[in-house]
Amino acid sequence: MTRALKPLLVAAFLGVGLFLSSCSSSPSDEELRMLEDLKAQATQLEGKVSELQRDKAGLEKQIADKNAKLQQCQSDQEAVKKALGK
Amino acid sequence: MKTMRIISLLLFVSAIAVGSLTAQEKMSKDAWQSEMATFQQKVADLNAQITKLTSDRDNLKTQSDKLDGDLRSCEDALYAMLGVTRADVEAFDKELADMEARVAELQRMSDAELLNHRDEIERMNTRLGEMAGSKIALIPRYGSRVQALKEKVDGLMKSLQREKTYTVGTWSRDRDCLWNIAKKRDIYANAWMWPKIWQGNRDMIKDPDLIKPKWVLKIPEGKELSKAEKSAANSYYRKRASGPASD
Repeated sequence: MTRALKPLLVAAFLGVGLFLSSCSSSPSDEELRMLEDLKAQATQLEGKVSELQRDKAGLEKQIADKNAKLQQCQSDQEAVKKALGK
Repeated sequence: MKTMRIISLLLFVSAIAVGSLTAQEKMSKDAWQSEMATFQQKVADLNAQITKLTSDRDNLKTQSDKLDGDLRSCEDALYAMLGVTRADVEAFDKELADMEARVAELQRMSDAELLNHRDEIERMNTRLGEMAGSKIALIPRYGSRVQALKEKVDGLMKSLQREKTYTVGTWSRDRDCLWNIAKKRDIYANAWMWPKIWQGNRDMIKDPDLIKPKWVLKIPEGKELSKAEKSAANSYYRKRASGPASD
């Protein structure tokens, strides 16, 4: 009987041990909240990055337009000088 | 003995299954630590990116403001050379833009519709001549716009000068007689103007009561009958009143 129960006991100990070990290595609620907060912060920062990238692209386009206008104005000045014979 | 071994094996397997299922539902500490590290790194990267982007944006803003100043100085110098003010140039620009839009509308009209805008087109042509001679037109971007618009208005003037014609249809289908032709909206929109068509086509029309299909009639310009046309009409009415036409 003892010999017959031995594998049963070993199996039970091993099973319970495994079950307990899986429970004991989970993070606490506080730790899980920290992770969620961190994820939310990352999402918020991604939004901010997108906004800044849009601003940057808009400004780059504005600058390109203004540069073109400035060049146009300078060439207009030259043409007017010529036309006025200055 | 054999039964006990089977039971213990089943117990062992089920304990592992329960353990692993629980582990899947709840995050393991290792996975948490790994995710924390990943997200901490991500937040740090994003913060660094934000710092760089903010600095880039501020530099670009400064650059843009400087360009505004440079452009304004350049334009002021240009206008000073011409002896005009910024307001003069803005008014010129607006007038030109309005005329460009109006000419685009006029270009979509038929020759017949254009005739109703003759005065406007002629005024525009005169004004464009004045604008072409103004100092502001020495600025190439305005000079070329005035020139391009002038060419379009010249095209409209040519359309106005083109002789307008009308091809006579059949009485059964079109009910075409001089009275009805003159009444058409795109001809004179006034039936009493029929003598103008008659007098303008004396080479073809001997009897105003008789016009033939496929004749191409000239439609003379004008909003009212000339003296000669009135006189021709009166003699026609007298003749009709005194009896049937002789020819």
